[in-house]
Amino acid sequence: MSAGFREGFQDRAEGLCLLCLGGFLMALAESRFYWFFLNPKFSPLTLGAGALLAVCGLALLLRPEPGRGTPARLVRQAFVLGFLCLAAFAWEQVAREPLPGALNPASAENSALAVKEEAPASPRVTRNGVEYVRLNLAELYIMLDKGRTDYPAHFALRVPVGRLEPADKLGYALVSRIAVVCCLADSLDLGFLAQGLDGVKTGQWIELYGHLEPLGAAGQAAVKKLIGPKSLSLKVMNPKFRVVAEAVEPIPVPDPPFLFEFREKEPFAW
Amino acid sequence: MDQEGFRIFATIVASIVIEAAPFLLLGSLLSSILAVFVGDEALTRISRQSLPVQIGLGLTAGLLLPTCECGIVPVTRRLLRKGVPTGAAVPFMLAAPVVNPVSLASTWVAFQGDLGMVLWRVALVMIPAATLGWVLAAGRGAELLRPSLDLAPSFPGDCPDGCGCGCGHAHHGPAQSLAARLLDVLRHTAREFLDMGRFLILGACAAGVFKVFLPQEVLGLVSGNLLLAIPSLMLVAVLISICSEADAFVAASLSMFPRPALLAFLALGPMLDLKLLPAYFTVFHRRVALAVALVPALIIYSLTMGLGLSGVLR
Repeated sequence: MSAGFREGFQDRAEGLCLLCLGGFLMALAESRFYWFFLNPKFSPLTLGAGALLAVCGLALLLRPEPGRGTPARLVRQAFVLGFLCLAAFAWEQVAREPLPGALNPASAENSALAVKEEAPASPRVTRNGVEYVRLNLAELYIMLDKGRTDYPAHFALRVPVGRLEPADKLGYALVSRIAVVCCLADSLDLGFLAQGLDGVKTGQWIELYGHLEPLGAAGQAAVKKLIGPKSLSLKVMNPKFRVVAEAVEPIPVPDPPFLFEFREKEPFAW
Repeated sequence: MDQEGFRIFATIVASIVIEAAPFLLLGSLLSSILAVFVGDEALTRISRQSLPVQIGLGLTAGLLLPTCECGIVPVTRRLLRKGVPTGAAVPFMLAAPVVNPVSLASTWVAFQGDLGMVLWRVALVMIPAATLGWVLAAGRGAELLRPSLDLAPSFPGDCPDGCGCGCGHAHHGPAQSLAARLLDVLRHTAREFLDMGRFLILGACAAGVFKVFLPQEVLGLVSGNLLLAIPSLMLVAVLISICSEADAFVAASLSMFPRPALLAFLALGPMLDLKLLPAYFTVFHRRVALAVALVPALIIYSLTMGLGLSGVLR
């Protein structure tokens, strides 16, 4: 059964809402900013859902059934349109500036160190005769959290440098990365206190070559009292270890800057 | 809320909805296929089984129909309308988001192969789900459901059973061709998705507000005290509304909390969160919705507190 225009208007309006939502999901799934909302491994799922929603919307749009307009139907249309406005705002914001302050490397003129082009990654790198295992900060954090003792003695991490009271007063910088399992709502901002980063400007991305040492009592107390700015992610600091930098090298912001893959052995995702 | 706060809010809302939308759509599609293709007789056979069998079927059905909590309510609503007894449908609704292969595997991986965490999680979900199924079994499925706001039919073909679509359904008319039934599935899916989607959006907005305003330092302050840690993480589970297939990774990262608190977080979140709460109150009568929301929370609180204080779980 298909309705005339007036009788089928509500179905058509709902179909149009779903078509817009489906189109939005498909466009986002194909966008280079998808990572800002969800782990990229889910993009085919989002794409498929968007396509199915669009087909469902077309079914209502092209083959409507008679139905009256009710407050409930108007409310659900308004919810979809309101969500689309909110999501478009978030998308526009990330397209303009992914994460204010945190992702933009400090400008070279203000930094004590000049930014170089990112070198191609290999699982290990040697500096000053010491071999460092490349892994990402979440991989290191997970190994420690599991109580493993076979973590690399010397490692290389790609991290932005931050400073927060009261750790800053003790001479500690903060290195952290946002790790995303599914979506940004369940993301974690995993971090360590770090030493040996005195010459590095806050906000600078670096490749840090270093090792772990136990965190002293003062450091442990500082970890508990760290108060950061408003953040998208739940901040979780390692309460037992600090990272000691042996060397650092400025790098551009990784693209994407979030961590989505976590391996338990070499070669790590880095 | 300042501009940065609003930006975080918009991003969190968008990411939750985009993550959950495919699962809600899957639930809506499944519900529509049940409505159009599965006869009432096939499902009402379950009502001939004894109550323990009904509850057992409900508790384990998620192993065959894997879904997260985002899509479970429309499926349950459809099952109840199709005559599936409450004793099976309610345990299915509460247990399936955890007792399904994806969620079980993610818990196992997140806790580094700790089978104890997986089994405790399953137990802590199954006990309240079975209890509520048993308590509500006296009522017929359709009696638990609220009539839809679109109930009063005014157009020829308006659905009289209050499914919220405001139109005619395939099962009201004579037998149709396959193409017509497929078209019905698509239209049903669209309406079901829109009907439940508003609650997903509402819940995501609430979770976004929580994320912007809750000081994270509070978590660190309560983590060392079992009496505070369990209710705190239960509240967090409700407020942040994480998908049941990802929450284990968040729980695993909160290693400063005692295990009973982590289990309370893992058990309650898939049964009660800000996405589900408005859906419960719209789909079920108020008393039933209150029971579905409160009984699992009370049972999980009592069990995890008991396990923690007795030293069974540390």
